[in-house]
Amino acid sequence: MLHSTNKNSINKSGLQIVDVSVRYTNGELALDRLDLNVPEHQIYTLLGPSGCGKSTLLRSIAGLLQPNHGEITYNQFPLQKNQKQNDQHSFIGFVPQNYGLLPWKTVQGNIMTALKISRNDLARDEQHTQSQFWLTAMGIANLAHKFPLALSGGQQQRVALARTFAIQPQIMLLDEPFSALDAITREEIQRIFLQNWAIHPTTTLFVTHDVDEAIVLGQKIVIMPANKDDALTMIDNPVFPVPYNSKREHPLFFEQMKAIRKVMQEKW
Amino acid sequence: MVKQKKLRHHLLTLMTVFLLMNVAWFLLYIMIDHPILPSPIDVYQVIFQYDKAEMGLHIMYSLSRIFAGMILALTLGMTIGIIMGRSKLINRLLDPVVYLTYPIPKIALLPVVMLFFGLGEGSKILMIMLILIFQIIISVRDGVKAIPDNTYDVLSTLGAGRWQKFYHITLPGALSVIFSTIRISLGTAISVLFFTEIYGTEYGMGFYIMDAWLRLDYNGMYGGILLFSFLGFVLFLLIDLLDYWLMKWRRY
Repeated sequence: MLHSTNKNSINKSGLQIVDVSVRYTNGELALDRLDLNVPEHQIYTLLGPSGCGKSTLLRSIAGLLQPNHGEITYNQFPLQKNQKQNDQHSFIGFVPQNYGLLPWKTVQGNIMTALKISRNDLARDEQHTQSQFWLTAMGIANLAHKFPLALSGGQQQRVALARTFAIQPQIMLLDEPFSALDAITREEIQRIFLQNWAIHPTTTLFVTHDVDEAIVLGQKIVIMPANKDDALTMIDNPVFPVPYNSKREHPLFFEQMKAIRKVMQEKW
Repeated sequence: MVKQKKLRHHLLTLMTVFLLMNVAWFLLYIMIDHPILPSPIDVYQVIFQYDKAEMGLHIMYSLSRIFAGMILALTLGMTIGIIMGRSKLINRLLDPVVYLTYPIPKIALLPVVMLFFGLGEGSKILMIMLILIFQIIISVRDGVKAIPDNTYDVLSTLGAGRWQKFYHITLPGALSVIFSTIRISLGTAISVLFFTEIYGTEYGMGFYIMDAWLRLDYNGMYGGILLFSFLGFVLFLLIDLLDYWLMKWRRY
């Protein structure tokens, strides 16, 4: 399977989206021949106007939607359900906008359920340790036995992040995860997310509609055009290595802001 | 502490209403002044003088018929309801069947059921099941359908199987609807039970009440009605308790 050693093989590591088209059931085109590569252990942010197909792309990678054309691979293994190898355990951590917590399970129960389903290679007490570790890392160890409805939005999002990190996925997909939070909570949780991502760099695609967030979190910023015929715009992000607390004051931050706005004016 | 206060308040209200109902009964007894309505005091005395072994047998018969009918209706109805809620194809096939049969007054089928299944326990349990199953199917199906599709997203991407999705999402998601269905069904089940205990048996609360009526033992008859009501009350309490344990997550 892995014998292909042509000159492109280095570029083909990580998450590879090749020539992918998705059609809605009403026949309308949601994605038209889209190409994108997120290299292993990198984090890309994806900016796009509403209706451009950001969520559709994410749902296709997550296997919740079946593309009509093209292929999506991770380190050359197909991610689509029907092509998946039997011995592979699912390795995608998905964080939806509404946090995707099950209200009838406690915080701990939610994380343990995810571990039980995706990580049956771990013994029960290992799963438990894992869950405890990530609750502590997200600063919510004291909420382990609460139900999601008793938590604030920010706390619920921390649980969703703890769950995603706990399963140690190879790919993380986040669909505007912080958009429902107030500004202060959002910055706090961005900081926690980035801090933990730096220790466990997972191949990540982070969808957002917030330019500020795209600059703060992405190693590269991918801008989706409003017109589906146009190509994606990729912007290198020199702000990424700057420590979180000084990112927004850094001169490069404003440069980046301007550059992105320029693309947005042309393409949106 | 707040919870305890609430509970005490709730109990106090219930006791007061119960007491007032008895006072109203007593006033009515004085006004009517006829053996068809005995005094509540006499009736309560009769209840305490009942032969405990005999009454226990009547209660056990009634309870086991209700349980058998309800469990049959719940297992069958929930299975069909959940499948109809999850599968568009099966829903399209079965929906017209449920739609057409639902309005049939099932109690009118009692003679048919008696013809086919005799006068014994079978026809009694079947009758209870027949009346309950339709409302269970419909509300469970709607409860399952009401779970938003994206609730399944995270577990789906983790590679959850059909059974895991059912156990972690569909069942708990539909549980609150299942509880309200059981509550409504229980009231119906008790009424149907009464009808079915009029024939072909010498045990059960329905039999006891009708038998007392025939023997012109009005004190015994009213006592039976009170006991039967109390039985229903205890069953409702049990369901509330189960609901309380399993639905903790909703109380915020």
